[in-house]
Amino acid sequence: MVLALALAFSSVGASAAELWIGAATADITPDRPVPLTGNTSVRIAREIQSRLTANVLALESREGERVVDQAIMVSCDLCVIRPGIQEGFRKHLAGRLPGFDLNKLLLAATHTHAAPVILQNRYDEKDYGDAMQPKEYVPWMYQRMAEAVVKAWKSREKGAVAWGLGHAVAGHNRRVVYSDGTAKMYGAMNIPEFRGVEGYEDHGVHVLCFYDSQKRLKAAAISLATTAQAAGGNKVSADFWHDVRRLIHEQHGESVCVLGFCAPAGDQTPRAHVNKKSEERMCKLRDLTYCEEIGRRVAGAFDDVAGVIAKDIRADVSLIHRVRQVELPARVITEAEYAVAKKVCEEVDVRKKRLKTDAWTRHFYGLVVERYLAQQKGGWKTYAMEMHVLRLGDVAIATNPFELFVDYGVQIQARSPAVQTFLIQLATSGPRPAYYVPTPRAVAGGALNANPFTNYSATAAANMIGPEGAQVLVDRTAEAINGLWKPPAKQN
Amino acid sequence: MKTNIAFLLVIALATASASASELHIGAATTSITPDKPVALDGHRGLRISKKVESPVTATALALESRDGDKVLDAAIIVSCDIVAIRSGIMEKVREKVKPRLPGFDLANIFLSATHTHNAPVTLEGRYTLPESGVMKPAEYAEFMATRVADAIVESWQKRKIGKVSWAQSQAVVAQNRRATYADGTAKMYGATNTASFRGIEGYEDHNLDVLFFWDQQDRLIATAINVPCPSQEAEGGLLLHADFWHPVRQMLRERHGKDLCVLGWAGAGGDQTSRLMYGKAADERMRKLRGLTRLEEVARRIVNGWEDAYECARKDIRSDAVLRHCVKEIELPHRKVTEAEVAEARKEAAKFAKDPAQRWNYRWHMGVVERYEAQKAGAEQPYKMELHVLRLGDVAIAINEFELFTDYGVQMKARSPAVQTFVIQLATNSGGYLPTERAVRGGGYSAVIQSSRVGPEGGQVLVDCTVDMIKAMWPKTK
Repeated sequence: MVLALALAFSSVGASAAELWIGAATADITPDRPVPLTGNTSVRIAREIQSRLTANVLALESREGERVVDQAIMVSCDLCVIRPGIQEGFRKHLAGRLPGFDLNKLLLAATHTHAAPVILQNRYDEKDYGDAMQPKEYVPWMYQRMAEAVVKAWKSREKGAVAWGLGHAVAGHNRRVVYSDGTAKMYGAMNIPEFRGVEGYEDHGVHVLCFYDSQKRLKAAAISLATTAQAAGGNKVSADFWHDVRRLIHEQHGESVCVLGFCAPAGDQTPRAHVNKKSEERMCKLRDLTYCEEIGRRVAGAFDDVAGVIAKDIRADVSLIHRVRQVELPARVITEAEYAVAKKVCEEVDVRKKRLKTDAWTRHFYGLVVERYLAQQKGGWKTYAMEMHVLRLGDVAIATNPFELFVDYGVQIQARSPAVQTFLIQLATSGPRPAYYVPTPRAVAGGALNANPFTNYSATAAANMIGPEGAQVLVDRTAEAINGLWKPPAKQN
Repeated sequence: MKTNIAFLLVIALATASASASELHIGAATTSITPDKPVALDGHRGLRISKKVESPVTATALALESRDGDKVLDAAIIVSCDIVAIRSGIMEKVREKVKPRLPGFDLANIFLSATHTHNAPVTLEGRYTLPESGVMKPAEYAEFMATRVADAIVESWQKRKIGKVSWAQSQAVVAQNRRATYADGTAKMYGATNTASFRGIEGYEDHNLDVLFFWDQQDRLIATAINVPCPSQEAEGGLLLHADFWHPVRQMLRERHGKDLCVLGWAGAGGDQTSRLMYGKAADERMRKLRGLTRLEEVARRIVNGWEDAYECARKDIRSDAVLRHCVKEIELPHRKVTEAEVAEARKEAAKFAKDPAQRWNYRWHMGVVERYEAQKAGAEQPYKMELHVLRLGDVAIAINEFELFTDYGVQMKARSPAVQTFVIQLATNSGGYLPTERAVRGGGYSAVIQSSRVGPEGGQVLVDCTVDMIKAMWPKTK
């Protein structure tokens, strides 16, 4: 037993290992008009602002002939990895990746709000019109992504990795608090009642660079605490990640595969707020859109880091990848919340003239009703999620499926023993939607009522788990990361 | 002192919308580094300086707006490498300037502090000092005031027709230093790697607002940089030190001329420092790879941000920017001392009363007792503050005396009609911390009654007065 534990520890630690790396990019831009997701009603995109991609990184750690561990990470220019999507993709890949455990593949979304709807019933089908239906888009997307995954996996070869931390002011906390204690997402700030921005912003830009055996840059993974929501509009868009990729390609070569990850940022967005006027003027002076400006900042942070970490490229780091099923306490629906939701649903159900927001509204409040009724019968007490925790050299990587408020990401980072903790939200999907995970101060900003935008992102309708569940998530993640660093406890 | 504010505001409004004024600009930098050991300000315990790590300086910027021969308005702004502009310093400087700039409205001068914690004490009685071998606070204050007055006069006399531009960029410098915990408490520099840690209490403002001053040939002569963070990276130890502003100035002068005058303005950052609350290992590694100290890294970020702003500022240099400068004495309500707070303060003060080495602690607690007694006797006067608000082109500049929590600065910026709003804290006087409501609820050093003479109620009055004065300088738009 002692010997086995010692071996286990040595594999977790920085023992001599080879890192095999593969990377590939798939274009997942639909070639037809498509309904866009992310808003309360459908927008049909008939033009392309920038192309959507899925970027694949395949990693395999080997000691001689022995495979130590594996991972395939896919960063997708999508809004959310909706329920069933990851499972469907794994099924689609079955048998195509010999030697790879498909449970070690994860999908993550950049959260662009200008990507196709991928759940057929997300909105009223009538509103999709002649556009590509979600049920058509998803298999098409699977096929494109699968080709890239297979290519990345099969093309993996011995390489090296480097990591570093830079900074870019990209995300801003979008929740505004007022003198009466209420909070509002995107609330007005130029009024006397404005008291402050509710919470923190984390402007760290975590960078992982992957190189081939000649130390040529092959792929880059970048994680920062903001969603990709700078673009807006009704065109298909990869948002600022397009500009990041464009600038990195210009600087480092077209072949570099760039994976954009969103760190916990449920309360963040890359939209100017306090300094709107000066941001607008600066963009004008630079002749950039705000989306391009965010891309410039992130790519600038990448360059600032990439040049420095090139001094510390490691070829012998070990990869450890743990996949856990975690049960989190669900947010409990109160009787008052149920009453509000039931009333809204009834109003929608009997409305004679259909509104384009009805499907979204019915879903938003309907789930509250469903959860309340289930909880009354002892059900829906927990939320099940798949958590990936990786160690790659001195870096920890941990995922969650939520729009997790930034405070929780800060907690995980602060409690992590890793030199850098690279967090990815909106990753993986289970059978149920994940939605936002607010802090206690956000929940205190207002209760659910008939206006869905009252304290939006922190009411029961927008939260499958609340602060209690979030704390369990933080604890489990911190424990899992610590488990990859600590020597195993001695056993009698 | 300017008294007829309403009249001035009307004039300001009229001029703000008018065009064709000339801006005359002068700048001068002087050393305020003592040549003897001094007591260093900013800590509870006495520290006597052993060595000068970097010179502490004062930089004066003189601005005068003219329409032909007619003077429209003026300002002389001085940035000082000092912890705070303690009581009496402003008056002393103005007194020294008075005979040397006859006819100049002394109310148009103000000083601000960068908040380095490694600069001399300027107020007697804060610490128990050794009898000899140390330059006493009063002696240093006299020395500093003389040097600052020299710089003010020099900058004013050097003024010539020039130009100005402004730009904004970002630098991740300020770190909110208040950690909050599961039990609702908050702690300045509290541990974040514990299971009870819940988050950083408040916001951080990572914008870098920059003013660039040019001569007629578009050569850069001075720059003012507003960082919403005090300069406390080098805090502690026995070195006299200008903190991160020293390497910032060095780097900018290397690139843009040795005579460049650099004004460091601390923005609203009562709850901020540049010291990290988490992610220290990653930062340390990156600095090691770059071969930089943390102080140098902070300076690198400011200079990078400055350069980013400079590239844009060069494209939009204005020779006819309007300058308006309004000064008003405002009254802020004091934070009320509760029975529980005074009882605690009495108890704590008693512990330190007889120990000369605990002079700072004794005074910190006794201040609460004195305030309570004045409050009880109905003798407490509102807190009076000299508020300066300037308009320079599309930029507003507003000052305050406090270590103002960032949320208040954000409120001012968000409500200001200016394209850019510079907020300068620790200017003209030293009002202590001004915490937010959430900070008062959480407690901790910078939010307890001992540290805060003006509380959230006064903070809101300060914001409202500042915003009102800024708005009065901008024409109303439909």
